[in-house]
Amino acid sequence: MDKPSHLSIVLDLSPKQWHLAAQPGSPHPITLATFLSHLLAFLNAHIACKDENSLAIFGALPGKSILLYSSAAPVDDGDTEPADANTYRPFKLMDSIIMKSITREIDALGEPETEEPIGFVGALTKALCYINRVTTSNTTSGDRGVDPATLPDPRILIISVSPDQSSSYISVMNSIFSAQKLASFDLFYQKVTIDVCKIFGAESVFLQQAAHLTGGSYIDVDRPDALLQYLMMSFLAPPGLRQLITVPTQDKIDFRAACFCHKNIVDIAFICSVCLSIFCSPVPVCSTCRTKFPIKTLQRLNASRPNTTPGTPRPPTPANSLPRSTSIAPQSLPRSTSIVPQSLPRNASNGASTLR
Amino acid sequence: MLDDEDEPSVRKVKGKGKATDGRKRDKGKSKAKEQPYAWEATYTRSWDTVQEDEAGSLQTTVRDLIARSRRRRLIGPASAIRRTIIRHLVLILDLSASMTDRDMRPTRFDLMLQYAREFVNEWFDQNPLGQIGIVGMRGGIGERIGEISSNPQDVLKAISERHKLEPAGEPSLQNAIDMARSGMRQEITIIFGSLTTCDPGNIHDTLDECVKDKIRISVVALAAEMKICRELCVKTGGQFGVALNEGHFKDLLFELIPPPAQRALARASGPGANPAADLMLMGFPTRLPATSPPGLCACHGELKSEGFLCPRCAAQVCDVPTDCAVCGLMIVSSPHLARSYHHLFPARPYHAVMALDEASAPSATCHACAAPFQEKASQAGAPASEGVSPLGRYRCSACARDFCADCDVFVHDVLHCCPGCGK
Repeated sequence: MDKPSHLSIVLDLSPKQWHLAAQPGSPHPITLATFLSHLLAFLNAHIACKDENSLAIFGALPGKSILLYSSAAPVDDGDTEPADANTYRPFKLMDSIIMKSITREIDALGEPETEEPIGFVGALTKALCYINRVTTSNTTSGDRGVDPATLPDPRILIISVSPDQSSSYISVMNSIFSAQKLASFDLFYQKVTIDVCKIFGAESVFLQQAAHLTGGSYIDVDRPDALLQYLMMSFLAPPGLRQLITVPTQDKIDFRAACFCHKNIVDIAFICSVCLSIFCSPVPVCSTCRTKFPIKTLQRLNASRPNTTPGTPRPPTPANSLPRSTSIAPQSLPRSTSIVPQSLPRNASNGASTLR
Repeated sequence: MLDDEDEPSVRKVKGKGKATDGRKRDKGKSKAKEQPYAWEATYTRSWDTVQEDEAGSLQTTVRDLIARSRRRRLIGPASAIRRTIIRHLVLILDLSASMTDRDMRPTRFDLMLQYAREFVNEWFDQNPLGQIGIVGMRGGIGERIGEISSNPQDVLKAISERHKLEPAGEPSLQNAIDMARSGMRQEITIIFGSLTTCDPGNIHDTLDECVKDKIRISVVALAAEMKICRELCVKTGGQFGVALNEGHFKDLLFELIPPPAQRALARASGPGANPAADLMLMGFPTRLPATSPPGLCACHGELKSEGFLCPRCAAQVCDVPTDCAVCGLMIVSSPHLARSYHHLFPARPYHAVMALDEASAPSATCHACAAPFQEKASQAGAPASEGVSPLGRYRCSACARDFCADCDVFVHDVLHCCPGCGK
């Protein structure tokens, strides 16, 4: 791989979720401080891989998102740390800038009564905009006549601790599609790979789809205390090298979607034939395109609902605490294709841990 | 359902050969293609319409182009478009020696490839659950160029490598149609530049088979009308057209994009066409990995590891979108549906910031990509074209954040989601 690689990290910094992750009650607690020390070692490794490798870190905080660090930004040497004989100076600088900006942002949060939803979509879209800027030779601001061969190979790593926000379904999907399209202006096959590292919390349906659709890997970390191992083994190699290094892949991909009416995540839904809007229950008029549906269809669907779609009338789940796939039908059926693979996730992801 | 700026307006200018292409990124290219019919042609050269300013720079023209596309975006949604659910199409490209003719500039072949790419993009926009396969006619045989796929990127990749598609030999309609017919295909679109076809058997037998299988064949001919082409289309209920020039070629091709149900409204309703809006029940499956224990698939009865699980009856099916063989539920992958949602919920247009308001403490960098803004207005003397900010700042009306010109274009053309407000 001759091309330099650009890594954008979307860092989920939800205080509530990190607090929960650090609780001693969980089997393998991890504190934010431990996590950051693992992450910094990984980032140093990424920069050390190649001289031209670049890095940008986007933090998703409650109600906002921010660029925490960019290797393109000029470094002000004003108040740097004293030199450390044991650390390579550029690493030291980078680490201290990242730590400072994270501390600053977390301090700025204060102690609000209720936590706003995390600004995950903002961070992801910013990461895409940033990649768009560094990978396309500019037309409008003209002064950069960059040779396309030296443009970096971009990828995104999402480090997530929060559950899905079903209200952001459309935005996340739009981001996935733009990641697929992003680099395709001159090269049709290149795209931005989205990798997902899930450290804590329930499996994320949307992030699974993101990794699947962009050819990345979704890794649910079993042992957060060995995080660095996961990061180094799975996420350090740029996508071009991934065929040579067998990176653990996903076991099952959940293709569920969020409905437009109640933002529930559903596996069986009612779709408007005109605009393809998703509803969790039969509605007389499409709320998006104002199409009226025939009464007959409504009656038929309503009549068939109780016995044919047991998955649908699930109690509406609050947006922030979505349970793992709980379709009732598959579990109660004797046919056990849905049960056998349950054992697989353990095995497959153990592949990563046995490397230790 | 509202249309956005991505939709070229060609459907509205049927017959008149002015292909005004709305796509921003082929702006430069499509300008060259805008021309009237050959007999009313006043020979325009695209490079003459670009004016240099006093300093000999093209900057003003470029800015003008940007401004124009911004304005188009602000005018925004116009017509309602109805999207179909499931469509299967095989696009047959003529790769015979006759495609090297230069009667369409630069050559028939290059033009066909370019329009085929635009066609595929547009087609997937309007038929998000559709699938396209590509077959080439070259050297007397049919050649599978792109496997049938529902991912526009896969299809585009198949026709992006020009050197692999170099025209040669004679075309064979029969071979190509037979190849396209294998499997359950509903529609075949042929781009045909030759005046001959060299077939191994009787093409009328193939035609009868197509009629029996209810396959709709449409042909866009580039040379002249051939009886067999006309017959293929008439008997199978497709459309036939001979392209008069480049613009008309594109019109003919793009007329085939709207789903058949829509076109059938004028005629008697076609096979399977259901013009009434309806509410449908669909299921979103779970995908099994290649490493899972094999199971019998419900559709073919074969032992397979990979597959999808029906959310209602947990039957394993090979591919989506499909109808579950056990419970009849329509199984679709939700990303296919989501592909068209940016039409429903477009990002709000940004407005250009003309002057800085010091009181509001403007940010120094773009909110999305963190590129620093220029301090002062550029080129004070330059004519301020509307829609272009002299400061290079564009502001979202919802979250009041500033974005640079690159991000403005990217957010509205690709991302469809404002990084500031997440809507």
